[in-house]
Amino acid sequence: MTHSENLLSKLPALLLLLFTMSGVAPASDSARTEQVRISLLPEHAVAVPGTTLWMGLHFELIPHWHVYWRNPGDSGEAPRVDWQLPDEWQAGDIQWPTPQRIPVGPLVNYGYEGSVTLLVPVTVPAGQRAGKPVGIAADVSWLVCREECIPQDARLEITLPVMSAGADPVTTNSFDTARAQWPVAAPGDAGYLREPDALTLRVDATGWADAPISSLWFAANDWGPIAPSRLQAWRFDGDVLLATLPVGEAPLASGAMLDGLLVVSEAESDATLTRGFKISATPLGSAPIPANEPRVTLALAFGLALLGGLLLNLMPCVLPVLSIKVLALVQHAGDRSAQHGLVFGAGVLASMLALAGLLIALRAGGASLGWGFQLQEPWVVIALLYLMLALGLNLSGVFSIGAGLAGVGQTLTEQKGLRGTFATGVLAVVVATPCTAPFMGTALGFALARPPLETLLVFTALGVGLALPVILLGIWPRWIGLLPAPGPWMERLRNALAFPLYATAAWLLWVLSQQVGPSGLGIALAGSVLLAFGLWWLGQPLRHRAMRHVLAGTLIVASLALMVAAGHNTPNPSVANAAETWSRERVAALQQDNRAVLVNFTAAWCITCKVNEQVALTTGAVRQALDERGVAYLKGDWTLRDPAITQELQRYGRSGVPLYLLYPRGQGSPEVLPQLLTEGLVLDALSRIDKI
Amino acid sequence: MLIKSALTTLLFIVATTAGAALRIGEPAPEFTGIDTRGNSHTLSDFRGTPVILEWTNHDCPYVRKHYNSGNMQQQQRTATEKGAVWLSIISSAPGKQGHVTPTQADALTLQRKAAPSAVILDENGDIGRLYGAKTTPHMYIIDAEGKLAYMGGIDSIASSNPADISKATQYVLPALTQVMDGKPVASGVTRPYGCSVKY
Repeated sequence: MTHSENLLSKLPALLLLLFTMSGVAPASDSARTEQVRISLLPEHAVAVPGTTLWMGLHFELIPHWHVYWRNPGDSGEAPRVDWQLPDEWQAGDIQWPTPQRIPVGPLVNYGYEGSVTLLVPVTVPAGQRAGKPVGIAADVSWLVCREECIPQDARLEITLPVMSAGADPVTTNSFDTARAQWPVAAPGDAGYLREPDALTLRVDATGWADAPISSLWFAANDWGPIAPSRLQAWRFDGDVLLATLPVGEAPLASGAMLDGLLVVSEAESDATLTRGFKISATPLGSAPIPANEPRVTLALAFGLALLGGLLLNLMPCVLPVLSIKVLALVQHAGDRSAQHGLVFGAGVLASMLALAGLLIALRAGGASLGWGFQLQEPWVVIALLYLMLALGLNLSGVFSIGAGLAGVGQTLTEQKGLRGTFATGVLAVVVATPCTAPFMGTALGFALARPPLETLLVFTALGVGLALPVILLGIWPRWIGLLPAPGPWMERLRNALAFPLYATAAWLLWVLSQQVGPSGLGIALAGSVLLAFGLWWLGQPLRHRAMRHVLAGTLIVASLALMVAAGHNTPNPSVANAAETWSRERVAALQQDNRAVLVNFTAAWCITCKVNEQVALTTGAVRQALDERGVAYLKGDWTLRDPAITQELQRYGRSGVPLYLLYPRGQGSPEVLPQLLTEGLVLDALSRIDKI
Repeated sequence: MLIKSALTTLLFIVATTAGAALRIGEPAPEFTGIDTRGNSHTLSDFRGTPVILEWTNHDCPYVRKHYNSGNMQQQQRTATEKGAVWLSIISSAPGKQGHVTPTQADALTLQRKAAPSAVILDENGDIGRLYGAKTTPHMYIIDAEGKLAYMGGIDSIASSNPADISKATQYVLPALTQVMDGKPVASGVTRPYGCSVKY
């Protein structure tokens, strides 16, 4: 019976007619369409006044078709029933069994395939006279879909004898199967935290399942707060269940409860047992949850930051600048070296804290940022490239008299006063920004996910680490005395130290080439030549000072104009890449195809990422293992800004790349692989996926 | 100085970092679609005029509810007479329900006396996915400045019964009036209802 407007509008009148004509209607308790057989079942063969009589609407569907849960998901419509009951009888709400998650193309529906019984409690009034049978009718309308949808409706009727109160009703149907599919109370109190684009559901409880959980997903009771088709991630942190639920089109109002179902499946030996848990989660605020792996404490983050800061001194972008400062100390500082060391430290700390403050402020404004994000902007890369080039040319002796904009680094580093020393500290932080030392990643990931005070503490540790060698040398200048006496060797060392800077510049150019393509790169290179020419001109001992400045200034301004032009260049369309491009949806789709998925979040400017790819991800053995096990390999490229990737990194407590995730087949949250990979480690992880 | 310029750049980066999901009041995603006559329509070309997007599939019972009753055509006429652009978009993939050739689409428009500004064929689903279109119908309004003003259902009663149209709270035309009066839309996001888009 398909939908008919006229029939439906006349139904109440028809019903009335039927009932007034006779007590027995020539009606049916079941109906059949091409897809559905529906029947109306009373739990007991008689109605007893003053009791609740449960009625069941039993749907049987042909394969591949489904009807819907109360929240149908991305599309669809829940079944509806309009009861025609004797006076003063009352029907309650439908008790919905735990639904299935039904993907339809890129969309997701919640509903039932096969068969389902929707139970409704009907109150029989105490004053109902016994003896005379009563008629009960249900006008049911439902939408049945495979991919296409058909709205259908039926009128179902039964007649029930009424027995006096106290009688023991005869059970006609076992409703136990239906009740077994009802969701049960969650084993613990639930709460949720707000994240930028998701809610994190948190339930502190055990007892979800007896066997290992094979899948877990959440469905909100109503449309809006949670997006059905976006991938949810879940994990256990000890006894705490954490599920990340991407928000839907109508996010929850502030302070509202999140009501829904958590559907947990466990893989038994040969079948899957699925249970639904009722969730009513209270808002817990918006503090991010701590990262799960490895358990980073503030003390550990502090230590790692200190160590990372120390190691930053050895990075090719920082080493030359600091070496020059040390040489300056040798030559000039004398007995004020301790003071200089501390002032340098103050410069480093001040700029580190300024950077931390800026990050905190931007994060409070809702931006999702991570360390190294500044390199996602081509202008910043070019600016750093120019800075490295200028410092390098200075060390090479191309120009030595600092004046104007380009001489700023050189002037400040060689300035004799304490002000110059402070500026060197600031410069050290600026040149350090493109470099990430080992140990820094974990510490910064922690720092960026914590309250402001802890963020500041970790950045302080990083600054102290960076400044420590110079401070120590200042306090114990005798160590400087171990160096040979000042002489021509210093000029040679100076010249030699230009090369790490050129190397950094070359690397920045390579990063840039991936961001702006060949033409953008060409513009940036032209700008570099202009800049070098301008700086060289500045260094020439010409008589007309003013003219020299004007010419050099013009050249440098021109190079900056080219920087802007190059920064505007559109990125090259993706370079040939063996790996597929990452998206949450792609991961979910592959998992549903029963594929395991290895995800590599990387960026051209991330050296650790490139090393890992070389030694552990693209080796023959790993490729073969991926092929043999049918593991899909996806790459998320963070070379340029990508909010989706930033969010994904945050979900795993990271503020930057690399991040490696290995998803199991079917459903479930991924294993997070370490930041430093080896071939053995990847092969081990791959061999584990089919053993769970 | 360099630090200062670096920080300025950082602020710039943040200012331009937008969320990935569609949000009311933010620029609607740019798209170019080809209509049934082979004309190309780019969203930004309509700057200065409000644009209504209607996802449709003529075989979907929920779409039929609004076309058989004449409701959708009426809304199309009212909106275009007010000066808005109405784009009906078909994102059904080839072989799936609702997929039509340009000729079939034009025949449907004629036969149903529909009055959209154009019918865009999006058989690879790019525009649909860009907007996260989930149902047919699924309605969007983009204001004259190119910002998303409304997304959701055509009205408040999620059913396929034409008798419900007169009982339902209308969403699209009232929202369009608010957009054209420069007022914020009272309910910018509502639940879209209907068949799934057949990607």
